[in-house]
Amino acid sequence: MADRQSALLALTSSALLLPAYQGVRADAPPDFTELGMRYSKYEEDNTQGSKTFGGSSERYEIDAAQFHLLAPVLDDWSVAVDLQWEDMSGASPWFVGQSLDGGPKVIMSGASIEDTRTEVSVTTRYYYDRGNAGFNYVHSDEDDYESDAVALDGAFNSADGMTTYSAAVSTSHDDISPTQGSVPTNTLNDDKDSSSAWVGVSRIISKNAIVRFGLAYTYRDGFLTDPYKKNDRRPDEREEWVLGTGYRHYFIWPDGALQADYRYFDDDWGVASHTLDLAWHQNLGERTQLIPFLRYYSQSEADFFANVANTDQRYFADDYRLSAFGAVSGGLRLRHEIGDWALSAVGERYETDESWGVFSGDESPALVNFWRYSLGLDYRFR
Amino acid sequence: MKQLALVLFAVLALCGCETVEPWERGVLAKREMQWQTDPRESSLQAQIFASKEASSGGQGAAGGGCGCN
Repeated sequence: MADRQSALLALTSSALLLPAYQGVRADAPPDFTELGMRYSKYEEDNTQGSKTFGGSSERYEIDAAQFHLLAPVLDDWSVAVDLQWEDMSGASPWFVGQSLDGGPKVIMSGASIEDTRTEVSVTTRYYYDRGNAGFNYVHSDEDDYESDAVALDGAFNSADGMTTYSAAVSTSHDDISPTQGSVPTNTLNDDKDSSSAWVGVSRIISKNAIVRFGLAYTYRDGFLTDPYKKNDRRPDEREEWVLGTGYRHYFIWPDGALQADYRYFDDDWGVASHTLDLAWHQNLGERTQLIPFLRYYSQSEADFFANVANTDQRYFADDYRLSAFGAVSGGLRLRHEIGDWALSAVGERYETDESWGVFSGDESPALVNFWRYSLGLDYRFR
Repeated sequence: MKQLALVLFAVLALCGCETVEPWERGVLAKREMQWQTDPRESSLQAQIFASKEASSGGQGAAGGGCGCN
């Protein structure tokens, strides 16, 4: 425990000493007020009948609406308010059992779960000659879950403007009170806390290219078990490390940019993962951008994961999210500006398979595939 | 991983990048050269992936949680 606290303290202290980074444009308040809204539809594929007891079952479906306001305040400040509202329904995996043919099959939660989530986020940001600093508060509320989080971040540019150093610290407190009635739950009321620190540095490497590295540490403490899973008991502490890199390169011909990001994740539950994001940002004239994107993800399984959980162990879980698997997702974004209006549209497909991963493990019958669509509209008052 | 991170930071700090004068940075200010071109899209994607995978974070402050299943 003392080691964890000293690690977080050391990283936090480094973060406060380091100058920081947000973006090339980030050191002056916006010269406009922006108002935006976005609607998204998220839809998981049904579980396959061959992988479940009781036949095919519907999974989650979520409608999400986002509202956004960004405005300059006084000479050196900006304020941003973001609201997100979600309506969720469907069933989720309850536990995995052994079928007569020897293979694992999933039992779904049965009755459709209905819930709504409302999130409010407020960010104030101060801009100064060599950088900026922000404070963010987020409150999220669901029938069975409530979360409060605060974050501080800062950015500092080197004298020649070639290098930007950045840092952020955050903490959150979550209260969990599972809805009773659908399936037996692992707790009636509980809570958890998270603290994290992040440092990053970005550097201009040519007139057309920029690169960055970042390192993050997160410590979670409290009830980390999934309250709705039958066979789930997890440690009450978790330490996570993330190493991230990013690269942007603009090509004069064909007037487009390559966006590449890589993340390595490692924790003390035995989970490690690789994430690679690639996007090509193609300009079509002055006002239209077409952005195909592709993401590859692979994770190892947690030390206490088993397809059919061994409940004699101290910790156990059959949650597919703690299994070894690979995922490929991709899609297309479109953005078109008409005067001070900007219209955006996104379509994305996400598919998982144990054999796509670089880590070995048994295939969970509950792996999820989904579609997601978004439509957005922004307006800038100048 | 900590050693790898230190090496990457050192490489970046010491790299012999060409000096790009302020008046040569027009391309770098373009929308497509930002780390986040659409913050709402990024936050929604991060929320979805964090609720379906065992990994999360790495892009700045961690933010709050949700009971997303």
